Parts: sequence; C-alpha cells; structure tokens
Amino acid sequence: MAVSTPILGIAILIYLMVIFYLGWLGYKKTQQTEDYMVGGRKMHPYVLAISYGATFISTSAIIGFGGAAGALGMGLLWLAVMNIIVGIFLAFVIFGKRTRRIGLKLGAVTFPELLGRRYQSRFIQGFSGALIGLFMPLYAGIVLIGGARFVETTLNVNYDVAVLILTVIVAAYVITGGIIAVMYTDALQGALMFLGMAFLLAFTYIKLGGVVEAHQALTNMAYLVPEGLQAGGHLGWTAMPEFGSPIWWSLVSTLVLGVGIGVLAQPQLAVRFMTVKDDKALNRAVLVGGPFILMMTGVAFTVGALSNVYFFNNLDVISIVAAGGNTDLIIPQYINSAMPDVFVILFMLTLLAAAMSTMSSQFHTMGTAIGHDFYREYVKKGELGQAINVTKIAIPVTILISVVLAYILPISIIATATAIFFGLCAASFLPMYTGALFWKRMTREGAIASMLVGAFSSLFWLLFVHAKEAVPFGLSQAIFGKATLLSGTWTVVDPIIIATPLAFLTAIVVSLLTKPISQEHLEKCFGK
Amino acid sequence: MLGIDDPQIWLAYVLCLLSAVGCVIYGALKWNDGEEEEEC
Repeated sequence: MAVSTPILGIAILIYLMVIFYLGWLGYKKTQQTEDYMVGGRKMHPYVLAISYGATFISTSAIIGFGGAAGALGMGLLWLAVMNIIVGIFLAFVIFGKRTRRIGLKLGAVTFPELLGRRYQSRFIQGFSGALIGLFMPLYAGIVLIGGARFVETTLNVNYDVAVLILTVIVAAYVITGGIIAVMYTDALQGALMFLGMAFLLAFTYIKLGGVVEAHQALTNMAYLVPEGLQAGGHLGWTAMPEFGSPIWWSLVSTLVLGVGIGVLAQPQLAVRFMTVKDDKALNRAVLVGGPFILMMTGVAFTVGALSNVYFFNNLDVISIVAAGGNTDLIIPQYINSAMPDVFVILFMLTLLAAAMSTMSSQFHTMGTAIGHDFYREYVKKGELGQAINVTKIAIPVTILISVVLAYILPISIIATATAIFFGLCAASFLPMYTGALFWKRMTREGAIASMLVGAFSSLFWLLFVHAKEAVPFGLSQAIFGKATLLSGTWTVVDPIIIATPLAFLTAIVVSLLTKPISQEHLEKCFGK
Repeated sequence: MLGIDDPQIWLAYVLCLLSAVGCVIYGALKWNDGEEEEEC
C-alpha cells in the first residue's frame, strides 16, 4: 500500500491512547448499575447526538451501503433522507422524549426493560432480550467484517488478525467502562468520522471537476450499466431503477424502508434516550444529529455512486468491476486509489472509529440483553444474583459469536445483513414500542402477540419467501422441495413490508379484545 | 438539475440537505425548551 506504515502506526497509536483514556474515564465514573446501563441519566446533549449518530452509522453504512450506491446509484439517497427525517428528527422529537420520561418513571435501564415494565411482563423483557442476544451478533459480525476489510486492504494485515485486534480493543473498554465509556469514545469517534467524511466529499467533487460536472459525468455513463443489472431494472446511476423491477423492490423495500424505518426500534439506539436528563438535551441533540447524519450517509451514497466516474476516467471500468465484483470493496478500493496518502490515514481512522463506535454499543446491548433482561429479570425473576457477572460474561460470549460469524459470512453481505437485523427489530419491537409510548389502550396481550407475530413472520418470510436469503439458506428447499414458497415479485419484497404491518394489526386487534392495563399503572408510566 | 436528469434523484439530493437544515433550525429554536419540565 502507498501509505507510510510508521505514520499510520503513530496515528493509530495516538487514537487508541485517547480511546483508552476515555474508556478509563467511563470506568471511573461507573459506580452503580444505572451508570453502567444508562450513564446515570445525565449525559451531555453533544455526547448523546454524536454517540447516537456514530452508533447508527457503522462501517456498514459507509462501506456496505456506500458500495451498494456504487452498484445501484444515487437512488440510495432516499435512505439518507429517511435517516435524517425518521432516524434523527422523528426518533428524537417524537419517540425520544417519551422514551426518556417513561424510562425514568419506571426505572428502566435497557430497551427490553422499558417495554417489559410498561406492559408489566417479564416475558416481554426476557423474549426481547433473547431475540437481541440471538440476532444482534449477526449485525455485529457484519460491522466487524466492514472494519476488518478496511484494515486488511489498507494496512495489508491479514483479515483474521484484523478481526481479532478490533474485537479485543473494543471489548476491553465496553466490559470495564459500560455505557459511559461507550458514549465518550463514540463522541470522539463521531468527530473523527465527521472530519473524514467531509474531506471525502470535498476531495471527490474537486477530483471530478465540481458538483454539477461530477453528476453530469455520472449521468452520461448510463449506457455502461452491465446487462445483468439492466435486466433487473437498473437505468443508470443517477436514475431510480425501473418502477416495480427487482432492483427497485430491493432498493425501496429492503434498503430505504427496511433500514430507514427499522432504526426507530433499534435497542442500542433507543436506550440512549434514557441517558439524558431532560427534553432540552434531546432538542439540542437534533441540531447536532441532523447535519451529522447528512455528512455520513448522504456523503457515503453520493461518493459511492460517483466512484464510477473516477474508475471509468482512470481505469476504464465501472466501480463494481474495479472492486472485483464485491460491492463491499468499492469504497476501500476507491479511497486507496483516488485519495492522497494523508487522507487514507484519516479515512482509515474514520472507518476504524465507525466500526468501533457501533460495535461498542452492540456489545453493550447484547451483553445487557442476555445478562440483565434475559437472565436477571426473566430467569431469576428480578433477583440480583449473578446478573452483573452474567452480563460481563455474556458480552464476551456474544462477541465470540459475532467473530465466528465474521469469519463465515459470505462476501457482499454487509448491506443485506444490516437490513435483516433492522427489519427484524422493526417487526418485533416497533408496534409495541410505539404503543408503549403513544397508545394507552394497548394491552400486555396485544404487545406479546405483536412481538411474536412480528418476530416469527419476519423470520418466516426471510427463510421461505425472500429469495435473497431463502435460496442460500436452503431451508425451504429442504422442507418443501422448492427454493421459495411464493414466486414472482413476492420473492423480492422485503420481510419488513409484510411483517411490520402484520405485527401492527395484531397489536391493535388483540389489544381491543383484551382487558386494558390498569389506570393506576398507566398513571405511573405517564404521570397524571 | 445539478447534472441529474431524474427528478426522483435530485429531489432526494435536495431533501437530504433541507432536512438537515431543518434539524438545525429546530434545535436552535428549541435550544432552551424542555428543561426539567414534566408536560405529560
């Protein structure tokens, strides 16, 4: 690689020293369970906003989705619009404020606990915890892949070694310093990410001759779309795919809606609303969060698409060809060949930061989901017992599963697997989470039914209908003798489109048929 | 517009920018709102 290894080594060393200092600060400030779980509910708005954004945006958003934009084009910008309007504005202003208040009134310290206490059900808390503990490693594994791939291509380090180094460093500060360490390091990592992405955008536009010129060059390349993609509905990198085509469905249902809406019910993000003192902090966080996300996904998708112009001008091929057919390698390939060395170092740190900030929250959420929600509250019925130790053991165990997944998952998986997890969360949690905050008539039975219907219908659709997963898994083939149970357009419709409305419907119908939650408990949740 | 022919794409491009600006305006206008108060 062109980058001078000693300079990069020193930059990484300085970065890691600061990270360890922040991790130590988190450790020192953590005295009670509430500190470990929700930072004593007194985090600074800047730390909240950047930590939320940096967790939300992992390497998968930058490398995986940026690479997807390299293949599919700027249609992904609709996801950036959703990220800002739904992921920041709606999340903070509408969901965040109520989550904070109800979480405080019920003394909840995790997302499953908020739901469990609101509906007075240990089963909800336990099942949600188990669901997170089981499926989040998939998402964490993917973030690890993204981080490790960049370390691999930039530093020429063996991929397996890169995975291990990343994991050990993050695990160390998450286990010792809890969420305070997670959020402090996130804030630093977020700042680095902002800087890195700003440079990336500026360099790209300058290199391609200006904003309009760059877009125009990309528009003019429409005739270069490979035949396979053309057949799927691809009309060029600055055009939406043909309405109703397989690529259109994949872009709109899986990427834009799946990830765009799924973010509202992400446990590791929702818990952050409970880490601040008042609504003022949430209002202020919106100011920081909106531009931050714009600079992350907006830039990644624009640059991902524009990388085609660069590769075509210099190598006479489009991005997907330059990356050897693996969309996950488009962005790393582009950075390494197009950007000056100094920038490669900055971007290396940016991606390392992006991976670490997301992983740290995932590790924390997986660990508390198993140790606190599943073990302490469900298995032990709320007794303290060994909960803290179980949490501390659960973190490494779930991390280990993520690492194993990072080794075995196939290539080009980053964007898809992120979408699977977001979709599963949306279907299982969004109806009861929305009900918990806004609909007093929603009952415990309604919540349980919607959670089960959402989780299982989402998984069913994934394994038996949605071709992208059903075919490689092969379960449908093994049981029913055909690759997917339904055919035609159904096989490209994302689970979230089917499972989430179904879960919402279940929540409403079952709630109306069952006994309302007592007035007394509602007053405890919402105040008088 | 902006070198992009498809209105569905430049609309997304412009909306990204506008929504981020919207977040800044909201945050600035509500900078001191919601301190320690319980509205519900």
